[in-house]
Amino acid sequence: MQDSLLQQPSLFPPDEDARDRLLAAYRPLSGIHDELMAADQTLRPHWTPLIDAFAGLGRDDLERRFASADRHMRDTGVVHRVYDAHGGSERPLPLAHVPLLIAPEDWAGIEAAAIQRAELLGRVLADIYGPQELIRDGSIPASLIAGNPEFQRAMVGVTPAGGTHLRVYAADIGRGPDGRWWVLRDRTQAPSGAGYTVENRIALSRALPEIYRVLKVSRLAGFFEQFRDELNRLNRTPNLRVGLLSPGAFNESAFEQAYLARYLGLLLLEGDDLTVRDGQVFVRTIEGLQPVEVLLRRLDSDYADPLAFNAASRIGVPGLARAARDGNVAIVNALGSGAVESAGLMGFMPGLARRLLGEDLRMPNVATWWCGQPDVRDAVMPELDSRVVAPAYGYGLPVLPDRGATAMSDVTPEVRETLRQAIRARGCDYVVQEAIHLSTMPVWDDGALHPRPFVLRVFATRTEDGWRVMPGGFCRVSQRADSRAVSLQHGGAVSDVWVMNVQQSGAGTLLPPPVAPIRVRTDVLPSRTAENLYWLGRYIERAESCARLVRALASRLVELNADEDPLVQTLLHLLENAGALPPQDPEAGPYCVLGAGLRPAILDPRLPGGLPAIVASALACASKTRDRVSPDAWRALRDLEALVAAPPQPLTEEAIFLHCTSVLRLMSAFAGLSQHNMNRRSGWRFLQLGVRLERAATMAVWCRRLGDPAAPPGSLETLLELGDSQISFRSLYADVPARAQVMDLLILDTVNPRSLAFQAQRIEEHVLVLPDISDGSTPSKTRRAAISINAALKVIGPREVDNGLLEDFAAALYETSDAIGEDYFIHQGLLQNGFSVS
Amino acid sequence: MLYDVTQITTYRYGSAVPISRHACRLIPISRPGLRVIAASLDIAPAPRERRDGLDFFGNQITEILIETPHDDLILGMRARIEVTPPPLPTFEETPPWEDVIAAAAVVRDLSPDSPAHFLYPSARVPVSAAIAAYCRASFKPGRPIVAALADLTIRMHADFRYDPEATDVATPVDAAFGQRAGVCQDFAHIMICGLRSLGLPAAYVSGFLRTIPPPGRRRLEGADATHAWVSVWCGAEAGWIGFDPTNAVLAREDHIVLAVGRDYADVAPVIGVIRGIGDHTVAVQVDVVPVV
Repeated sequence: MQDSLLQQPSLFPPDEDARDRLLAAYRPLSGIHDELMAADQTLRPHWTPLIDAFAGLGRDDLERRFASADRHMRDTGVVHRVYDAHGGSERPLPLAHVPLLIAPEDWAGIEAAAIQRAELLGRVLADIYGPQELIRDGSIPASLIAGNPEFQRAMVGVTPAGGTHLRVYAADIGRGPDGRWWVLRDRTQAPSGAGYTVENRIALSRALPEIYRVLKVSRLAGFFEQFRDELNRLNRTPNLRVGLLSPGAFNESAFEQAYLARYLGLLLLEGDDLTVRDGQVFVRTIEGLQPVEVLLRRLDSDYADPLAFNAASRIGVPGLARAARDGNVAIVNALGSGAVESAGLMGFMPGLARRLLGEDLRMPNVATWWCGQPDVRDAVMPELDSRVVAPAYGYGLPVLPDRGATAMSDVTPEVRETLRQAIRARGCDYVVQEAIHLSTMPVWDDGALHPRPFVLRVFATRTEDGWRVMPGGFCRVSQRADSRAVSLQHGGAVSDVWVMNVQQSGAGTLLPPPVAPIRVRTDVLPSRTAENLYWLGRYIERAESCARLVRALASRLVELNADEDPLVQTLLHLLENAGALPPQDPEAGPYCVLGAGLRPAILDPRLPGGLPAIVASALACASKTRDRVSPDAWRALRDLEALVAAPPQPLTEEAIFLHCTSVLRLMSAFAGLSQHNMNRRSGWRFLQLGVRLERAATMAVWCRRLGDPAAPPGSLETLLELGDSQISFRSLYADVPARAQVMDLLILDTVNPRSLAFQAQRIEEHVLVLPDISDGSTPSKTRRAAISINAALKVIGPREVDNGLLEDFAAALYETSDAIGEDYFIHQGLLQNGFSVS
Repeated sequence: MLYDVTQITTYRYGSAVPISRHACRLIPISRPGLRVIAASLDIAPAPRERRDGLDFFGNQITEILIETPHDDLILGMRARIEVTPPPLPTFEETPPWEDVIAAAAVVRDLSPDSPAHFLYPSARVPVSAAIAAYCRASFKPGRPIVAALADLTIRMHADFRYDPEATDVATPVDAAFGQRAGVCQDFAHIMICGLRSLGLPAAYVSGFLRTIPPPGRRRLEGADATHAWVSVWCGAEAGWIGFDPTNAVLAREDHIVLAVGRDYADVAPVIGVIRGIGDHTVAVQVDVVPVV
């Protein structure tokens, strides 16, 4: 098999010198298996074509291609969320550019082992939630299962809908010094990372198309198609959408969940989107309750239902466990499947394989001793100093440094003694594991290849025809040379995994897309998503209004004596009323604007109407609807966030003017992208409704203040500037603006895209195509409100537009907004009850 | 002893709640030493959905969904209960506490009564080195388990102050231990924490306590309260035995079990999720009337 790889046509004829230059700095660590080189520093055969290709491209071309892969990751917004002190920010998950190559015969072993292990863990789950024979016959200690916080007692005695607990399984594996693969961890709760593998693959295969083609890399799409089909098959009612139950936008893998949802055509749902009635699960949508029968669960069981599990959870679905117990919803993986995801259980896996399957483990796991059995604990104590001590379950232990796995050789004698005592006192909380070293693979760093240790996560899914393993994986590479498995817990980069496939033909033909796009079937818009899109629209438009006002002020402040200019004072009051400036003491006299006066609107995140806060709110809404906002539009928002976060220094009036102009330019980029790239289903309409309502209400306020007959001189010109309508005005009137002309243009003119009438027409159009939630006898509140405003605007003349009328319009617009909320959104506000005993 | 017990729980909401969903553990159920002759739970407003069943630990659980807008929720439980505590072992003849730890570690049983469930930190009871050290003083090497537990129960009563102002339902165990004061829930959690730190299986019991009025006074109606204590697995033979550190007594005829779990979170009388704005208040009125 290796011969066939060597004989395949190479785009890059072997060039010994170039190859030597590329590998000049590459020195495998002593005593460690290296994926690229054998102990004698010869290249392993399945890597040769890739290394020759890299050598042929040369350093500069390689750097350029890797940079293009990075750009792809950045542009698509692949981010791994890390929490910071302020409650969350995002940083990109770096792509390690060299793929991990796995030879076909090696892969066959991994595949078979993953299937065996998935099958085995599935059977253990069925037993501990069912007959518990493994407990009674001593195969698994009762207290090992009872101690796992993910053993969900509410699910004992329940056979899950679809008949099986485990449908998605992942194993973290690594290769030891002897060349054998080892299982380091099992993932049965809600394995993450599969979505990233697709994005990594797209990025790298586009950067290295000819190499990817020649190497005959196994494709990933088939796996995902089977997975999606399997999820759909669990539906009892045909054509229902499958949901992906997410912990929400603040989870560290929120991006991946949104990505998977879009890729697999799943409905991205949070707990609040779902409700249970008579043991059936429904999605709250803008068209009322829609049933859902299958959920891909990315939310830990403990948080999935506050009534059955952790009562403090605000992100779950009250009653979900009841629906699962009644067999009305198939949850993948079943609630409680995390009960076999523990280090403690690993020590029992060899025995369980023999007991349940009648065979040995195809891939050993790290030698593990659970200290909850007194005899085992006593036996491992003498060798403790050469071992790793780790928590038996998922939660960290305060006695351990960093609360997680700790090599005893790394800690002081005092800590070691403390740990000994802790293990003697409560051994059941700990496992002792063999300290193992992981193999290394090449990473590109500073223009050369270097060996770095890695952990590979492989994924398996249960299909009608048995378990299928994704031919690839999620490979985390360390940024340091320390090859001990225990050091790989934190950080690193992610590498694509190329499983070499000798059977697959197609080398030399045109590369089909590495993953086939999968279509979404029907439009189901959850109420929460609609609400977030609506508010995204409102915040975006509010930020635009703020930027326009600030810019108008900045341009006026360049003139002298602005502090005494009554028009400047009027504009400042408009900003203050919008919450963009701190409230002024009326006794304090006019604003002092030259100097610090205007800066808070640009700088102060505590001001609810200031640019930083509005943009942050817009981002928060967008991040909760990531599956609906196009990657380009999302990127425009991120650029906007970055721009607002870094205003120019020093912040002179001119700098403020230019800053606002840049902000407005990015706004129109977002507006354009959402206009052109979002499909015209209901989601887009809610976004548009938000924009239109906000713009209309703002125009009413501006016209009332600046169109007031008592307003200072120059107010009407400023009003035209704010309404971006100077050019329209001049094309109609050659004169100095008169109030009625301006009101005609900004309030009543149905062809001016900034006028109130124009917004009212759009609002009515959008509202009329939204689902009608009324019972048919009377129009819904939303329809009534939208139609009334539009009708009222048609029957008045410009001279009738006075302040009273403008106030009425503003009030009617807010009523429309409330009506939309009542008719289509969820009413937020979850409270937990509970009372004390004494 | 025969008792008539009523417990009326009233929630008042700051503004009308359009929809609410609750899981209630308010109805007692027969178990060893306790026979429920009759029991009922009346709910107002009437729920649209109601399901009565048992939770994992065998407690009665009532799941309700109310869709009528409501300003208050009234849960009224009435029961007639007979308490006949099983005979106690002779303290000094119970096994050494170390043997109980070893036996609990290797049980081959995951049924609700198994000590395996009660060995670990739980939602409201973490591991605490300070509490472990305090409890350890009662556990001299080789001491019979029930003798050691009785000693701990008495020490806790002496060292801790009963003070309803000192804690609330959410006070962490460490904080209550630090101030050596609290209510029965805190006493129970502290004792459970210390026992589990040693490796002993300890459960949380919620229920009712018969209160005996001062001599010459009549029992005041509604003045009784819900109570909590600790149940400890004392080996396969002795089984589970109740200790009440708040009152320095064993849980016997005066202690009426409502629910058992790993800590308060498992037996919370009402867990609820409501949609709505504003605060709420809770009032609980309990009457424990001996039937003579």
